[in-house]
Amino acid sequence: MQSNRLGWILLAPTLVILFFFGVLPFIYVVYVSFHQWNPFAADPTMIFNGADNFRKIVFDTEFLNSVGVTVLFVLFAVISELVVGYILAQAFMKEFPGKAIFRTIHTLPLIMAPIIVGSVWKLMMTPSIGIIPHYLNEWFGITVNIGMSPVAAFTTIIVMDIWHWTPLVTLTLIAALVSLPPDPFKQAQIDGANKRQIFFHITVPMIAPAVVATVFIRLMDALRTVDEVWMLTGGGPGSATRFVGVHIFKEVFPKTNYGYGSTISVIVLYLTIVACWLLYVTMLAPRNKKE
Amino acid sequence: MSNHENTPLSSAHHEEEDTPAVSSPKAGFLPIETNWFDRLFISVVIWVALSLLWFRFMEPIGLSIWISNAIALALAVLIISKG
Repeated sequence: MQSNRLGWILLAPTLVILFFFGVLPFIYVVYVSFHQWNPFAADPTMIFNGADNFRKIVFDTEFLNSVGVTVLFVLFAVISELVVGYILAQAFMKEFPGKAIFRTIHTLPLIMAPIIVGSVWKLMMTPSIGIIPHYLNEWFGITVNIGMSPVAAFTTIIVMDIWHWTPLVTLTLIAALVSLPPDPFKQAQIDGANKRQIFFHITVPMIAPAVVATVFIRLMDALRTVDEVWMLTGGGPGSATRFVGVHIFKEVFPKTNYGYGSTISVIVLYLTIVACWLLYVTMLAPRNKKE
Repeated sequence: MSNHENTPLSSAHHEEEDTPAVSSPKAGFLPIETNWFDRLFISVVIWVALSLLWFRFMEPIGLSIWISNAIALALAVLIISKG
């Protein structure tokens, strides 16, 4: 009982901060989502309109399109980051010349602000001055213009995200791989297991919690990507890279439609929670034993 | 014996036994082990999804959202009690 009280006392500052900076704003956004509110209109009062914003959102083709584009982006980016991150983590587990320098360089993108990453990639991708379109054209005869081609813009954003966030996945997976006990691997080798069997039956189950935690972090980050995309493409061409974050930004700031913007935010939060929960259920949740 | 009972592990075990019912898992019809809060969460997730789908497909043909709420409530009772 004593340790319980001490635990609550130690947790109290964090809980108070979380309540004021997390729970209260969330409740406020949910409250605003049930209102029509444009604070810069002739009539800036909040008007309660029940679930009308939610009725509107399910028919909003721009929003539904942005959800589809975001889901595609998240799938491609997170899966690629996981695969590349794992390969790099396995490479960093071995000794090779220049490993320390390579690891430092590899981690550098992680410390860059997303807005800077967007600016750098914009410079690199601008036709006529960008290094990437120049060499793609010179070496392979491919003309890339992210302002004109939706596929090029979408692909560039995925590559940029992989470049920016794979180091995080690599570092997390290195930590997971380093902490694995050697005994199960030795026993499996003695029993004659091949590399594939060891990977799927020992490595993957043992690093699954770390993988799920990493995917959670990347999933949540990727679903709210705004600044990099805003700098690089501004959501275009057309609506090819108009991710939900960009859609919310455009709805709330240029249009000053705070009520509807809050509704979109609540729905995006709902989708994020459901995606993370489904991932948890499929990967980690204990199964029901019916005997 | 008494030495063993005073170890940190044994006291941690007693603390676990004292934890409230929210963390005690239950085997119902759901495919995963859940406590009542998990089942409440699942019910809320289903309620929101059902409401959005209702707005999109059922309300335009004249069926009120209250029918969806009633179905969601019945499902919630079923999931929380038997899930």
